[in-house]
Amino acid sequence: MSDNLAFWLSYLTNGKHLTWYASFQFTIFAALAGGMLAVIFGLAGATLKNSRFFALRLIGSTYSSIVRGVPDVLFFLFFPLAFEQAVEWFMASQVCTPETLAAQSATWPPCKEANWFLGTPEYLILASVSLGLVYGAFATNVIHGAMRSVPQGQLEAARAYGMSATQVLWRVHIRQMWVYALPGLSNVWMLIVKATSLLSLLQIADIVLWADRLGAPNYLSAVGLVHDDWRWRYYLVLFVFYILVTFASEKAFGALMNRAGRGILSEARS
Amino acid sequence: MKKLILAAAALIVLGTTAQAQETVRIATEGAYAPWNFLDDSGKPAGYEIDLANAICAQAALTCEIITNDWDSIIPNLLAGNYDVIMAGMSITDERRQTINFTQEYFPADPSRYVALAGTEIDFDNLSGVRIGAQSGTIQATYAQDNLAADNTVIVFNTADQAVADLAASNLDVIFADGAYVDPIVAASNGTIEYIGPEIMIGDGMAAGLRKDEAALEATLNDAITALKADGTMDKLIAQWFDGRGPYYAQ
Repeated sequence: MSDNLAFWLSYLTNGKHLTWYASFQFTIFAALAGGMLAVIFGLAGATLKNSRFFALRLIGSTYSSIVRGVPDVLFFLFFPLAFEQAVEWFMASQVCTPETLAAQSATWPPCKEANWFLGTPEYLILASVSLGLVYGAFATNVIHGAMRSVPQGQLEAARAYGMSATQVLWRVHIRQMWVYALPGLSNVWMLIVKATSLLSLLQIADIVLWADRLGAPNYLSAVGLVHDDWRWRYYLVLFVFYILVTFASEKAFGALMNRAGRGILSEARS
Repeated sequence: MKKLILAAAALIVLGTTAQAQETVRIATEGAYAPWNFLDDSGKPAGYEIDLANAICAQAALTCEIITNDWDSIIPNLLAGNYDVIMAGMSITDERRQTINFTQEYFPADPSRYVALAGTEIDFDNLSGVRIGAQSGTIQATYAQDNLAADNTVIVFNTADQAVADLAASNLDVIFADGAYVDPIVAASNGTIEYIGPEIMIGDGMAAGLRKDEAALEATLNDAITALKADGTMDKLIAQWFDGRGPYYAQ
């Protein structure tokens, strides 16, 4: 029994498994950075949608209605690639000379100097931005709705105190908006958390990729422990991880809700 | 602000291209034992990793081995993410149109069908069979070109996934490199066995490079010639492939 325990302890702490445990940081980073960007894009989108100018309103509503309809997997594949090529295209217009252009036989990039190598950190940032853009469109709708839910009387009172439009927006409107937005935003957050399982699409060795690799049946003792298909065991660990994240998120949003509702609108606190 | 972002982007691009020129980056899949896999410490290991290190030592190159999914391994080579592919890739005319190959470092090897023990399939008129292969491999191409009309061809991202689905009886047969399934059949205690004919597709396996890397190609070819002549390559093949060979010693 103790032999068994020692074996499992050393198997579960070998370098492969340690790399797997370490890869949770990518998922957590992408979720947090993606969530933060989604709120920022959401605020920007909602402000555009509320704007007095038709052109700005059009940009805001186009963003929220089009990006919400695009599948996140597709956007995940499209955005980093398009961004990389756009940067390379811009670099090419700056650094390529006729000689280097002629020397390049591949169709892309135009010349070698313009090539941008994307490693895990770059992909992680691009993935977070993609998450932020996709779910920012949902957050736009949530925040837009929440801003309309703030009682008009509150804004009128603020104006009556002589606050400028900007002051009303930042000191009263956005402050009070959170109470109405948080339930919707917690939904968006859960969607972001779920979408972090897509990271392996961008060559990031994330928790899903490692669970796949570690669980795949192995027949060669040179490779490591010989075992059959163990993928479900590793997927089960991911299940538990995501359930724990859900649980922690609910607690955190409960606390945020309490904080955002301080002193205003007792009915918004449920 | 815009200028700042552009300047930052320019710095990143210039910085990474400058770095890329110093070391030769070799991409492997890391999921195709015994050619390449990730060992218990999580680092790439296998025949191709040992061979890559031998080639780099022979040619006095600084090399870095990175892993990349099989599916995107050629596009990412063309995009310049790395300089060389060593991932159990067979030389084919189709691949020659987009990339160049060095001379072979693993001899052409027949592809084999494997199935769960006791499966009976009539290979003379194959129909209604679920055939598994790794996507983008010569076997997948062969199956899709020749067998897809009457059978179901199912492709997987990694060869390991195909084996897992065979073990779970979701497939009738797997079509794969003989040297890949050899150890699996040997280690399966008789549950997985060879079935049907051996089929020769493709030439040997070789390292792939972009077409504009003539200097690097020549350097690698010289190193491979030297390793073939001094018996290093035969030794590595025998070590990783259960005593196969020798193929190259003069």
